[in-house]
Amino acid sequence: MEQPQNLRVVETLAWKLRRRQLVGSRATALETLVVLRQVISKSRFSNIEQLVSIIRGVGRRLVEAQPKEHSVGNTVRKVLHHIREEYHTATGGSTTTTSPGFSISKFVMLGQPRKQTALPKTESKNTIKENDPDDPDAFARSLKPVLMEAIQDVFDELETVYDNVGKNAQNHIHSDEIIMTLGMSKTVESFLISAAHHRNYTVMVLETAPTYGGREMSQALSAAGISTFLVPDSSIYGLMSRVNKVILGTHAILANGGMFAIAGSLLAATAAHVHSTPVVVCAGQFKLTPSWNLYHEYGALDFGDPSQVLGFEEGALVDKVDVVNPFYDYVPPNLVDAYITNDGDHPPTSIYRLIKETYDDEDNEL
Amino acid sequence: MAPKAAAAKEKLIDDEEEVLQAVILADSFDKRFRPLTTHTPRCLLPICNAPLLDWTFESLALAGVQEIFVVCRSHAEKVKQAISESKWSRPGSGIKIVPIMTAKETFSAGDAMRDVYTRGLVTTDFVLVMGDLVSNIRIDEVVRVHKERRKTNKDAIMTMVVKESGENHRTRTTGDQSVFVLDAATSECLHYEHVSGYPATKTTRIPREVLEAHPEIEIRNDLIDCSIDVCSVEVPSLFQDNFDYEDLRRDFLHGVLTSDLLMKNIYCYVAQEGYAARVKDTKSYDSIRLVPLLATPLVSEHISSKDILSRWTFPLVPDDNHPGGHVYRHSRGNKYVAAEVSLARTAKIGNNTLIGAGTRILENAQVTGSVIGRNCVIGAGSVIDGAYIFDGTVVGAGCTVRRSIIGAGVMIKDKTNVERGCIVGNGVAVGPSGAVMPFERLSKRREISAPRSDEEEDSDIDDIEANQPGDSISVLGGQTNAVIWPQGPSEDDDEDAVVEYKVQRLRRIADTGSDLDYSDDDDSAPMTDDESDDSQDELSGDGSFDGSEDDSDDEAPPIIPGTSNMMEEAEFQSEVKQSLQRAFKEGHSVDNAAVELKTLRMASNVPLERVREAVIAAVVEAIPIVPVAATQRKEISAVVGRWGPLVNNIGGVDAVQTLEALQMHCVTSDRFPLFGQILAEFYQTDIVEFEDMRKWHGSAAAKGEGLSEGPTTENVKRSWVVAGQLMQQIEKLENESESEDDGDGESGSGEESDSEEEDSNAKTQPPSAVSGTNTVEESSAESDSEEADTGSEEEDSEEEMKTVSPANPAVVTKPEAVTKPEASTDHDKVKGKAVTKPESSDSEETSEAGEDDSTSEEDSEEDDSEAEEETKINPPAPPAKPESSANKDKPESTVSPTPAKAESSGGTKINPPAPPAKPESSAKPEITAESSGSEEETTSEEEDSDDESSEIQNKPPTASVAANPESSAVQGKVETNPETPKAKPEAQAESSENEDTSEEEDDSEEESSEEETTNNKPASAVGGSADGSKIGSTPPVQTKPESGVKAGPKVESSEEETSEEDSDSDSEESE
Repeated sequence: MEQPQNLRVVETLAWKLRRRQLVGSRATALETLVVLRQVISKSRFSNIEQLVSIIRGVGRRLVEAQPKEHSVGNTVRKVLHHIREEYHTATGGSTTTTSPGFSISKFVMLGQPRKQTALPKTESKNTIKENDPDDPDAFARSLKPVLMEAIQDVFDELETVYDNVGKNAQNHIHSDEIIMTLGMSKTVESFLISAAHHRNYTVMVLETAPTYGGREMSQALSAAGISTFLVPDSSIYGLMSRVNKVILGTHAILANGGMFAIAGSLLAATAAHVHSTPVVVCAGQFKLTPSWNLYHEYGALDFGDPSQVLGFEEGALVDKVDVVNPFYDYVPPNLVDAYITNDGDHPPTSIYRLIKETYDDEDNEL
Repeated sequence: MAPKAAAAKEKLIDDEEEVLQAVILADSFDKRFRPLTTHTPRCLLPICNAPLLDWTFESLALAGVQEIFVVCRSHAEKVKQAISESKWSRPGSGIKIVPIMTAKETFSAGDAMRDVYTRGLVTTDFVLVMGDLVSNIRIDEVVRVHKERRKTNKDAIMTMVVKESGENHRTRTTGDQSVFVLDAATSECLHYEHVSGYPATKTTRIPREVLEAHPEIEIRNDLIDCSIDVCSVEVPSLFQDNFDYEDLRRDFLHGVLTSDLLMKNIYCYVAQEGYAARVKDTKSYDSIRLVPLLATPLVSEHISSKDILSRWTFPLVPDDNHPGGHVYRHSRGNKYVAAEVSLARTAKIGNNTLIGAGTRILENAQVTGSVIGRNCVIGAGSVIDGAYIFDGTVVGAGCTVRRSIIGAGVMIKDKTNVERGCIVGNGVAVGPSGAVMPFERLSKRREISAPRSDEEEDSDIDDIEANQPGDSISVLGGQTNAVIWPQGPSEDDDEDAVVEYKVQRLRRIADTGSDLDYSDDDDSAPMTDDESDDSQDELSGDGSFDGSEDDSDDEAPPIIPGTSNMMEEAEFQSEVKQSLQRAFKEGHSVDNAAVELKTLRMASNVPLERVREAVIAAVVEAIPIVPVAATQRKEISAVVGRWGPLVNNIGGVDAVQTLEALQMHCVTSDRFPLFGQILAEFYQTDIVEFEDMRKWHGSAAAKGEGLSEGPTTENVKRSWVVAGQLMQQIEKLENESESEDDGDGESGSGEESDSEEEDSNAKTQPPSAVSGTNTVEESSAESDSEEADTGSEEEDSEEEMKTVSPANPAVVTKPEAVTKPEASTDHDKVKGKAVTKPESSDSEETSEAGEDDSTSEEDSEEDDSEAEEETKINPPAPPAKPESSANKDKPESTVSPTPAKAESSGGTKINPPAPPAKPESSAKPEITAESSGSEEETTSEEEDSDDESSEIQNKPPTASVAANPESSAVQGKVETNPETPKAKPEAQAESSENEDTSEEEDDSEEESSEEETTNNKPASAVGGSADGSKIGSTPPVQTKPESGVKAGPKVESSEEETSEEDSDSDSEESE
């Protein structure tokens, strides 16, 4: 049989990721999930280890194809986590109950790290048989429905992520506040719009050169009836003194509490820091990335095509100047005040814990 | 299950969509990268450590191409193998790649395309690229645009992708640039010209037709031709039909654009974003850091590589989507280092560097701006600067390698220097302590026993090995196994090779070409540049080219026109003669005859000049010689009137040349005595303009200077004198009529109003000029009458009555009779004369009448506006004529105003041609004038002011051009031409309308009322349309300055006299 990581669907997605035909953390997460579901439904395995290694193989292939789309790896890890959980449930093993609704207030109560080792269980319920030599597919047959459910759960989470992030928006934004944001982020947009149902406030959107996502954003916001200003990037510092809160989107949240966000975010966060303006980051949990040291890597900023900065037609200059066009900024944790996720609000300092909850340690390296 | 269903759905969708196909021409059909390409096809040379072909595949995959045909010739087996081993043949790559091996006889892109056609590979619109493309342009978008266009225009067979770049851009290889002339609105490619680096192309010529047919054009030299073409299925078949097409651009594109028969359109897609470049030569290799390794590989490799390393090709960058699948880490300064590289602690890695896996950089080595392959070793203390080193090469200690391309498996032993621009072939060993001179090309000495398949290349190499200069080998170091490729062209190479060599130098990496003497070869090899297009030269025909102009495509040395050429031309002349005789006999239409001539010209590849000469000769010879002067004149005008337009219909107009040809033919012909009359007739039928005559007359050739003594020269001189007399008369008359033209005093050379007057004059003069009799009398008589005209309107009307008769179809000749009495001496020579006179007076009168009335108040204003109108739109006055004459005719021939007019224009050959074109635009001035006369002053003023305001609005943009009539004459004609054709139909319709209405009223009412009606009608119509046309006409004017700015090389557009249009319309009507 074909190696699962060479399945057509996997290849196709890998190519798309390589060629940047598929971008955006949520879109890639969804695609990854679709692929994983197909892989699981097609592959044959007779015990949990085989299943896990298949999925990890696929995950590795996809992550190698595009290491900068962190949500691909995150999604794979999450699926693995869910599979193990379902497996343990199905086999009667006790797993720690994941408590719903993390929030800063409950932080202390949830302090103990989750037990990593599931109790070795005696095959008490013989509903699922592993490694049955007579019928090697028995395990897969009985487990697959459960797995599909698990994946469906992840799906649902992804699909409702915007709603859930915006759920508590009115608790973060108050009437007559002035909010600054930048770039185009669906999460931030839905967050602001949901707050606008309850509050009356003003948003300043930075243009965010060279991608100019801010223009799109300001249009979306003003279409939703929010009083919106589109301001040039150069005025970040000047306006910061009037701003009550900076709300940012993000590309990936690292385990140390720092994050990668669209270029310009660091500037805004630093300016906010100087003015002691709170910086709040909205993100779905699929952006939690279990890496600590990505910010050491120069290339992690995802340098794009310089033509957005300096047109290729400027021949004379192009020859003499090296132009860099990073797509992301790394914002260190000390500049971020809070992360608002679809699963509650967290300070940067507790992100590592959240990550530990969400993924299994052994999956950090796929 | 859900996923399955989804998958099934996807499949369905896939089936519905057409598969996007691409054809890659994986052979360069040149040898620029030799010796690197002696054993490897260029498309497999690595650039940034991945084969060029893979970059091309990736570029196409990025664009969503699903099926790729790779047409390969040299080393086809290797290409095939490379493809089958690559990741592309794995399932899931989503692309089907089919290598196509063409015959060894495939020597050009054209041959490859014919092969594509015969194999029936493509079934739908496809993308055609070269095998050395690096691009991130969204080709799918181009395809979409192309298909969209095809829906409405089936003739849009190709869309070329071009990329904007600055004037001096590193990706633009000197000597490989092009000038594109695009329609500003549709991006249709109207003209293409290659700009060669050596000899440097300094001017470009744009065929007049282009300017005529398109109101707004862009002339651009800042476009990089990406060599990405979206072609429709017809394209390969066109290649099949035209077996001589070789180059995609120079032959195919140029052929399609200049063909009068194909009627296909080619469009450009100016990519605003995205990157695309070809690794055509070593200079561009450098830019993309894709290294094509042959003759002048460094340059393109350098450019390509540079662009890749500085991420212009994103997402096609080493650390992201490296086509070879390698993994590189990107660090500050665009350094890409693979994971398994061992770097000594003291080694220095500079910016823009890529180092492949398994390579070791030893102590104190410096690597900057270079690409180093896999498993290389850079010895201690070596300096690698701007070099491209392929896999497995070992550079010893203390070496220096600068801006060169080093093949795979090369051994550069200790303390060897490789200077800039070198190409070192695979497996060469150099050193120790050797030196490779700049631009040296080395390849490995072959084992004698090695069996070779490629005979052709074999012989090359044999030669080279046989001719090794012993001393230079020793420079390379003691243990070398290299052979040096000859630097320049060897002595027995022909001149072409020398030029080609110089052109190549411009393309080489690190060669600035600064030491090339651009001027020295200008005379020795003026035409060898195979890109300068002869037919273009002729089309523009500005008389600047010398007689040695012959076909540069054939190898004939430029200095000797070649006996073979003479033979061909003689053959051609006789064919033209036959074809024209047939046409004369069978009474073909001028258009048909013109098409026949064009085909003939195309077939025998003869410059336009020759065709013109042949046509003129044939026309002159077609005039029967009659003893009686009067009948002779009739014969002349009949023949010239019928066939004269053909002269300007053969694909280009150059009146000066026409005159030259006419003179030259007449002096050698037995029709020499008729020269004056024929010339006058030419002038009268607007085949030539007065201005042209003046130009011609002033030229040395016309005076017969430089000709050896003999009867011919004698004749030439005599003809010159005759022409001089004729021109004097024309001028005189012109002056007189001008002075009448109350203050309209610009001498506007080529303008319509003048030309009208000239026309009227012309009628009078020819006789005198011809026979040498006292035309003076006649002209004076005429001028008298004209003066009289101005004096009293009543008189005018009387005269008009006379004019009426010309309008009457039946009476064509008679009008003269009517007028003759006046034109005392030289009776009915030219029928038109008489006819026109009245008319001209007419027009003058109308304008005068208007001016008389209204001008009293706004003389100056009107004058101004007229002046401007004249420059912008040709013919204020002419329109007046048909109408007024028609009006006045009515009493007599109420029957059919339109036909009458048509005849007046056609039958009498006078200016009439002009009227149809101009009525609209001309209507304006007329209206203002007339209406002011007959209606209340207020309205007229309003209208006037309207006109003026509209003009004022238009002015600013036009100002530079239009304000100065003279300059516009020089520059300007171009502007007006494009517009007028459009205006024509409308104009005609209008004028006929006017006549209709006026006519009806005519019956019952008096002139004044007629005038009113006519005035009113046009007024309303004009308010909208004329103004509109004016506004429409301005943009072209604006664009020109712009385009002029854009275009790098100078643009010489051959200017046209407006008469050309006239003559065109003439020909139409004369049928």
